[in-house]
Amino acid sequence: MIIPYLKFRVIIILLSFVSIFIIIFAKTVELQVLERDKLKAKADNQHLKTMNIIPMRGSIYDREMKELAVSMEVDSIYAQPFRIDDAGKSANLVAAALSIDRKELESKFTSKKSFVWVKRQLDFAKAEKVRKLNIQGIGFVKEGKRFYPNPQVASHLIGFVGVDSKGLEGVELGYEEYMAGTSSRLIRERDALGNEISLGSLRQESSKGSDIVLTIDKTIQYIAEKELFKVVANSQAKGGMVIVMAPRTGEILAMANAPHFNPDIFFEYKSPNIWRNKATTDAFEPGSTFKVFLLAALFEEGAARADDLFFCENGHYSVADRTFHDVKKFGWLNLTQIIKYSSNIGAAKAGDRLGKERLYRYIKDFGFGAKTGVGLPGEVGGSVPLLKEWSKVTIGNISFGQGMSTTGIQLLSAFSAIANNGYLMRPYVIKRILNGKGDAIEEFRPSVIRKVISEETARRVTNVIREVTKTDGTGVRAAIDGFEVAGKTGTAQKPDFSVGGYSSDKYVSSFIGFAPADNPEIAILVVVDEPSGEFYGGAIAAPVFKEVATQSLAYLGVFPRGMGTTAQDWNTRVKGAVGYPKDRIAKSLYITQKEPDSLDWERKDFSHMPDFSARTVRSVLRLAREVQIEVRILGSGKAVYQKPLPGEKINHGQAAEVWFK
Amino acid sequence: MIKTSEIDKPLILAMMALVAIGFVMVYSTSYIMAMKRFGNEYFFIKKHLMFIALGFLLFFIAANVEYRLYKRWIYLIIFISLVSLIILTFVHSISSEAGGARRWIKLGHLTFQPSEPAKLAVVIYLAYYLAAKKDKIKTFSIGVIPPIIMSGLFMLFILKEPDFGTALTLGAITIIMMFIAGVRLRYLFSIFFAAMPIIYLMVTRVDYRMKRVLVFLDPWMDPGGAGFQLVQSLIAFGAGGIWGVGLGEGKQKLFYLPEAHTDFILSVIGEELGLIGVSALLILYLIILVSGIRISFKAADLFGQYLAIGITMLIVLQAAVNMAVVLALLPTKGLTLPFISYGGTSLIVNMTGMGILVNIWRNRET
Repeated sequence: MIIPYLKFRVIIILLSFVSIFIIIFAKTVELQVLERDKLKAKADNQHLKTMNIIPMRGSIYDREMKELAVSMEVDSIYAQPFRIDDAGKSANLVAAALSIDRKELESKFTSKKSFVWVKRQLDFAKAEKVRKLNIQGIGFVKEGKRFYPNPQVASHLIGFVGVDSKGLEGVELGYEEYMAGTSSRLIRERDALGNEISLGSLRQESSKGSDIVLTIDKTIQYIAEKELFKVVANSQAKGGMVIVMAPRTGEILAMANAPHFNPDIFFEYKSPNIWRNKATTDAFEPGSTFKVFLLAALFEEGAARADDLFFCENGHYSVADRTFHDVKKFGWLNLTQIIKYSSNIGAAKAGDRLGKERLYRYIKDFGFGAKTGVGLPGEVGGSVPLLKEWSKVTIGNISFGQGMSTTGIQLLSAFSAIANNGYLMRPYVIKRILNGKGDAIEEFRPSVIRKVISEETARRVTNVIREVTKTDGTGVRAAIDGFEVAGKTGTAQKPDFSVGGYSSDKYVSSFIGFAPADNPEIAILVVVDEPSGEFYGGAIAAPVFKEVATQSLAYLGVFPRGMGTTAQDWNTRVKGAVGYPKDRIAKSLYITQKEPDSLDWERKDFSHMPDFSARTVRSVLRLAREVQIEVRILGSGKAVYQKPLPGEKINHGQAAEVWFK
Repeated sequence: MIKTSEIDKPLILAMMALVAIGFVMVYSTSYIMAMKRFGNEYFFIKKHLMFIALGFLLFFIAANVEYRLYKRWIYLIIFISLVSLIILTFVHSISSEAGGARRWIKLGHLTFQPSEPAKLAVVIYLAYYLAAKKDKIKTFSIGVIPPIIMSGLFMLFILKEPDFGTALTLGAITIIMMFIAGVRLRYLFSIFFAAMPIIYLMVTRVDYRMKRVLVFLDPWMDPGGAGFQLVQSLIAFGAGGIWGVGLGEGKQKLFYLPEAHTDFILSVIGEELGLIGVSALLILYLIILVSGIRISFKAADLFGQYLAIGITMLIVLQAAVNMAVVLALLPTKGLTLPFISYGGTSLIVNMTGMGILVNIWRNRET
């Protein structure tokens, strides 16, 4: 019946349609597979309206998990103008509750935008007022706001955040990527008319940033700052710094800068200079403290012995076009005396004996002229002249710490190598980084940069610099009852670039030392910038060293040996002497449980809270010691209340409080 | 009634599958809009369900009406179709307008689109005429002039609505049927080339058609304006990916895609059911195409053969054009997706056509 011709034409039609279907399929594959991501992004972009809200930033803790910087959830208020019925009336009510401009608010409420911020980061009371108004179209979200519980503590080190909660200085800046948290946002689904889709509700996706645990100890930091501010005030100095380090590990226990600033109102300070953590960002000429490194090089190289004599030229010694001076006129001094009395001329001659190549090598080996990598933003490396530029005068100059510069952190790290059997440790301020759940995602451990001198040399250098704080040494005011202190004073004239030489009335007074000399637990650098009146390091900086070292050692539970003192007596004495902050009392008692020469202060995980009720203060303290928890004693009499309650688990680093009546 | 052995099963199963998919998708695409406009999420789907019922009724009637009877009623069929188009054009009191086009006749609560049955009428006429004149089909005066005039007349009224897409589809089906009937290729090419300048003028003289062509050439030229619909369609496909975002989960129907439940329903299928869903649809239409051609080959007479091809083309060509439009392979036309889209007349007429196919199959040569 069917003529073949027709069948042929039908098949042509069939094949044409099959081809068309294949093209359609190919196009679908192109859109749904090949170009999918591009198109999907466009789809998301129009369905999802994204608002950046300020995330909960990670906290900064000290080594004992005490909070130094925290983010708190606060309310921010937004409006969806299309949902507000009576913009004028609503604006009146909200503006009154928040004491903000009514007109501006009304224009926000009548805007075409689907979302506007009314006021961000409000305190609870104000937010509550607006919440009670219960206006349709007004919404609340939780945003993070930065708080510094102790704005007076370690502000230069911690830094601060800007209005958008982004780190601007210090640890806040340096560890921004860890602490910021993933960009947290509010997601609303929209239809083409820009209306909120009834199917989807407001979603908030946020994750808290990582927490930073510092090597800093809040108490030692507090001690360092208190003593630093005192000396800066008393001597009417321009500023200063105190750094406390654990010499065997390189951990920084305190890093204090003066003058102080309050991170909550950082923007009110005229010069950004005041924000800088000068202990790492500013280099200065160290002066006589540097002679210690000359001494170490001489001993290590066998170039001189402690009792080798040098003629100190009675205070005036001309080299090439320069004349070196000593404070006092000295004749023959041995090397120990040169250090003890801090003779520049003796140091210059000793340096000459060592030779510039060897001196230069040791300076570099001790880490001068290179950043330490302490882990803080803006660190500088100081400067050491290149060897080929050294003249005969340079050797002399550098031998007593002129003509080169160092940061405080470099100087203390290098000095700690002497306390640490010759091992130069990398200084560090970040102990660990914790994720949101409290697990360590990064752990920083002590690391040796290099061995600079032998243990024998370190011991011999220590023996020499112990003399500095004895009887008529320059640093006698740094001496601590019951301990031997190894240290060195420094009094450096400040370079005056306007006259191309050194200023005659501007000094940097310093003291660097560690204690106990035979078993060093802490190394401390004290620098006072431009004190008025008295300016010798031994007079200005050494007493600060003494105070900081005494209080810190007591706090750390390091007690003098062979003096017949009990820990309790010592504590009482120290407490009485320096006026401890209240919560330190129990802390000190806790510390007495520790091995004095152990630097591992990590507490063992303690179990649950004991029941303190009806116990006396003494009894509570004894029990607390047994279970190794820290308690704060409030009031006196019998224990009536405690926090946490009996049987509760205690969070790491949290102090228990016990009330007595 | 029909025995199952008498039914071309793949064809009917394909149709039923498409109608079922359509039912689900019309609900998925329309409920939010229905809620917003009429306060009743079932507004469209209820009507659609009624059309499906009506469609099945006519499908069964057509399957049981001896298809050769249409030859006898051919002039009545043509007359009624033309009159309804004329009424649509000139009697505005019972016709209704939407979006600048007058395509619907109101009968009480119901509206229907005369151009849909008109297409079927023209296909029946062409099958009848080309089969009757098969001996003189190669001559110009018999093979070309009368079918072009008849078809042209219908196209003229449809263009008057205006419904450019339906008119062009009708023209294409006419050419295909003439081609199959054996009209000389040179005549067909002549018609094609003669039509080109007319089409060109009709496009360039009318702003919105010109715009549609320009948008088609570069949809991203003006994504917020003229290209909005097409761009949103492409975005929907992209958002769906291979597996789709899930039934009812699509976002593009939320006023991003105008006509989401009618002309652009495939975009939503692409978004919600993904490449898998679109491929399934393509396969179902392919089954209809192949089954239709098989029925044509087995038909008892030449009229049945031509009629089967014509009806198959009516469905498959429209499906292909609709898909090509939403995928930006062709400029926007305003054609529905057969069996899937909301749009009562189209669904009923297509199902009637399927009934006729079934009847041709039942009366096949054995």
